[in-house]
Amino acid sequence: MFSPLYLLYGFMVLSFVGMAEYRGWSTDTMNEVRNIPRSIRDNPGAYRSIYSSYHHYTGGK
Amino acid sequence: MSTGTPPLPNPPAKPQVKSLHCPQCGTAITLRSFQQAVTVVCESCHCILDAKDPTLKILQQFQAIIGELPPMIPLGTRGKLRGTDYEVIGFQRRSIESEGVRYDWHEYLLFNPYKGFRYLSEYQGHWNDITVCKDLPIVRSGFVPNANYLGETYRHFQTAQAETGYVIGEFPWQVRVGERATVTDYVRPPRVLSCEQSAGETTWSVGEYRYPQEIWKAFNLKGQPPEPVGVFENQPAPATVSVKQAWLAFLLLTVFLLGLMAFNDMVASKDPVFNGSYRLASGPAKGEASFVTDVFELKGRSSNVEVKTNANVFNSWIYLNYALINQDTGQAWDFGREVSYYSGYDSDGHWTEGSHKDTVIVPSVPPGHYYLRIEPEADARHPEITYTVSVRRGVPVLKFYGYALLALFLPVLYVTFKSISFERARWAESDHPILQTESD
Repeated sequence: MFSPLYLLYGFMVLSFVGMAEYRGWSTDTMNEVRNIPRSIRDNPGAYRSIYSSYHHYTGGK
Repeated sequence: MSTGTPPLPNPPAKPQVKSLHCPQCGTAITLRSFQQAVTVVCESCHCILDAKDPTLKILQQFQAIIGELPPMIPLGTRGKLRGTDYEVIGFQRRSIESEGVRYDWHEYLLFNPYKGFRYLSEYQGHWNDITVCKDLPIVRSGFVPNANYLGETYRHFQTAQAETGYVIGEFPWQVRVGERATVTDYVRPPRVLSCEQSAGETTWSVGEYRYPQEIWKAFNLKGQPPEPVGVFENQPAPATVSVKQAWLAFLLLTVFLLGLMAFNDMVASKDPVFNGSYRLASGPAKGEASFVTDVFELKGRSSNVEVKTNANVFNSWIYLNYALINQDTGQAWDFGREVSYYSGYDSDGHWTEGSHKDTVIVPSVPPGHYYLRIEPEADARHPEITYTVSVRRGVPVLKFYGYALLALFLPVLYVTFKSISFERARWAESDHPILQTESD
């Protein structure tokens, strides 16, 4: 029968959502970096993000 | 399952038969249904003989067409259907003609001396187990007529003129090649209700769809049965497809999902932990543009962090290289966000594009002391841009619910599509095709 299998699948989906919310997951992408030097606090320019070469949209119609 | 009837005499090698000879060619004629036979067909010269006549009077002689398919279940074969032993005693090919195309099906007459007759029909690999109705069905006319039998409603499928093209074996009625009858089928899968009218006689029978493997197993036939072609009129939909149940389950799960969303929204802390306003001076940057914010504390267990940017851009953009840095461990999350807003007029009227706001969620951030490193960029000729950055801890992510709803909906959509395709294929051959297109 379709329903019990689908219900099982559905509750797995709901469990996944519940876990995602509890663990604080996100759908946004970002780069995790470890061991950032403490000197950034005094000299922010000493660190460059990998996103700084992003191509900016200058859009409009 | 026991039916309370004794099995056929055993061993089957010596059935209780009456041996006679064809008056036309002298071939031995075997009567398997004792006194029940009304007509019997000589397999050799294709004479239809009067089984009630001691001299086997010839009633009709027909010419079998070259290439006439022999019965898939040979005459004399015994098998067990619904717990009762039956023997195949007759076979006929019947056909209907539609738009110049002849459609053939085969009928096997089965006999048990205690239970009487039942029939098996076969059309392109689809089988039906048929018995004569115990009660007279009630037919109701309408846009799509239907028939009620034993409290169940059967929907009209097709009415056609059937012609008998070939017969072999024995029959409890006056069988003739070329005999015509009006056959009306009503369906309620897996059953079919058939009304056969000829020469003032009306016969109702009810059939149940059987899978080929069941027939092969019941009659212990060798080899593999022919694969069914297409969808037959009373073929049950695949067992896994139950559209109504699927939609009910989907609705139930959607209610649970909405409940989960409301619950998470209630328990989410959504703590505002930082808020800052900044200004990016017009023109090219003079010196280092990046800066760091004050330190703020993220409390509790690991959870997400929302960074919201609000900028007063107008026909321009601002790009912010963010790094959320843990002051204690040196762990950081790097991300870039652009806020841009454009508007104007063209031949279609006023248009806008983009937004003054942007929101990003940083996943699973452990508790600790944090600050943001922000490096703003903008077009070299930009006017002064002011923007605010606000940070909240533990916010619900609505996208998850959207994705979950999609994940719940897709299987239901698939099942619905499959069911519609199946039913469309079923009814395409009927007098009431659904979703008919010009190409049909």
